Amino acid sequence: MVEFLNIFIGGLILGGIYALIAVGLSLQYGVARVLNISHGEFIMVGAFLTWAMYTFWGLNPLASLAIVGPAIFVVGFVLHRTLFTRLRTSSASPAAYEGGSLIATFGLMFIIQNLAIITWGTDIEAYSFLNTGVSIFGARFAANRLTMLLFAAGICVVFYLFLARTRLGKAIRAAAQDPETAGMMGVNIKRVLALCFGLGALMAGLAGSLLSMCYPIRTTMGLEYTIIAIIVVVLGGMGSIVGSFIGGLILGMVGSIVLYIDPSLSLVAYYFIFILLLLVRPTGILGK
Amino acid sequence: MLEVNNINTFYGKAQALFDLSLRVEESEIFALIGSNGAGKTTLLNTISGLVTPASGNIEFLGKRINGLAPHIIVEMGISHVPEGGRIFNEMTVRENLEMGAYSSHAWKIRWGTLQQVYEIFPVLKEREKQLARTLSGGEHQMLAMGRGLMSRPKLCILDEPSYGLAPKYVEEVFRIINSLREQGITILLIEQNVRHTLETADRACVLENGHIVLDDICDNLLQSDHVRKAYLGL
Repeated sequence: MVEFLNIFIGGLILGGIYALIAVGLSLQYGVARVLNISHGEFIMVGAFLTWAMYTFWGLNPLASLAIVGPAIFVVGFVLHRTLFTRLRTSSASPAAYEGGSLIATFGLMFIIQNLAIITWGTDIEAYSFLNTGVSIFGARFAANRLTMLLFAAGICVVFYLFLARTRLGKAIRAAAQDPETAGMMGVNIKRVLALCFGLGALMAGLAGSLLSMCYPIRTTMGLEYTIIAIIVVVLGGMGSIVGSFIGGLILGMVGSIVLYIDPSLSLVAYYFIFILLLLVRPTGILGK
Repeated sequence: MLEVNNINTFYGKAQALFDLSLRVEESEIFALIGSNGAGKTTLLNTISGLVTPASGNIEFLGKRINGLAPHIIVEMGISHVPEGGRIFNEMTVRENLEMGAYSSHAWKIRWGTLQQVYEIFPVLKEREKQLARTLSGGEHQMLAMGRGLMSRPKLCILDEPSYGLAPKYVEEVFRIINSLREQGITILLIEQNVRHTLETADRACVLENGHIVLDDICDNLLQSDHVRKAYLGL
């Protein structure tokens, strides 16, 4: 029972953060049509900002969410309004834009990572926050990991309600299905696409902040998370936000089981699932 | 109300519209007739801002609208119901209608407009919680037209509203077009059903290879040898 709880809650913890990361990427790829290879770099920047503010100013990492989120949102929004909007309007076709923007995000990945290395170096950094054990029916978890799960799940739920209930949320869903028609309904499509890219970056940044509370961080950590996010988005179904959420939880569970058997095999297991999925159901769980 | 002056529109390098001009007067039904590829849809897309003309200008209620983004043109009072409806399949019927009222002035009064649209299309009220992709072809088109009305347009552009519909729905579409005109909404219409269209509309023009070849009141067009031979099969 305790072992089961260990694996199950461990899976939720991992899955919650994977879901948050993948929902962000899904928003950028499913709506804004940018397969953002630099997604993990936004996670890394979020993590380092939180670490720096905690280490140098003593700012509570949970409070730093309120600074990191908006700051990274603005960076994402401005990047889209400048770089990606320009690429989109100058591309001959949507396919050419997807290719061009992919290359651009590769460039962004190198730029962001190298700026971070110049600023923070390449050492592994960590800090101790809420590092006490909490017992759930005999299974023990660090309080910071449970806090991370709570926040990741909370952010996903709030975002889901935003998409389902609000005027802007509906505009995002409409733009995801048919941007041209959404424009004909009165949606300012340039603004909504930039908003989606910004929100995707915001989720990456928040995920990074939460991750830094639990795990050691380094400036080269980004790519691994980008790969996980891409696997989850494909697993859940391209363009489906709910699918990304479910996909994240599934991959988290898998990760938790593999971690229990042999920690060094988790990325191998993810790739295995990815390949299996492409063979059996390439459209993903909720894909069409 | 709508004045199109000497526009030239290109798709890539191919020219689709040549020095094209037309006027739509307030509260009339104006139809565009022409075969596939004549440039009808391109003309409508140019008016609603999806395509920018290379030259010429378009005025709506005395204001120049060419070069403006589609979301601004809707706000000014032009609603475009595109070919095939292009409804949002993964949203409910109700959400599709709400999207139609996205412009800020329409959004404030959307509940009132929604009741009016439900009166015109009772089937949409019955289906309001269903996902749009579960609708039949006829209901699908009703939703597209209803969504187009949600922005409270002064001018409603309809691109082949009866295309692919069963005869009873075709009748319904024309009945609704007439009732919209009675409410004071100006209609710009493309239809493949030429006889029915010329009997319903006030004026029409015939578009061939991106040029307007005839522009007249419908009674005259019904008598024209060219129209009778090329479009009515007489």
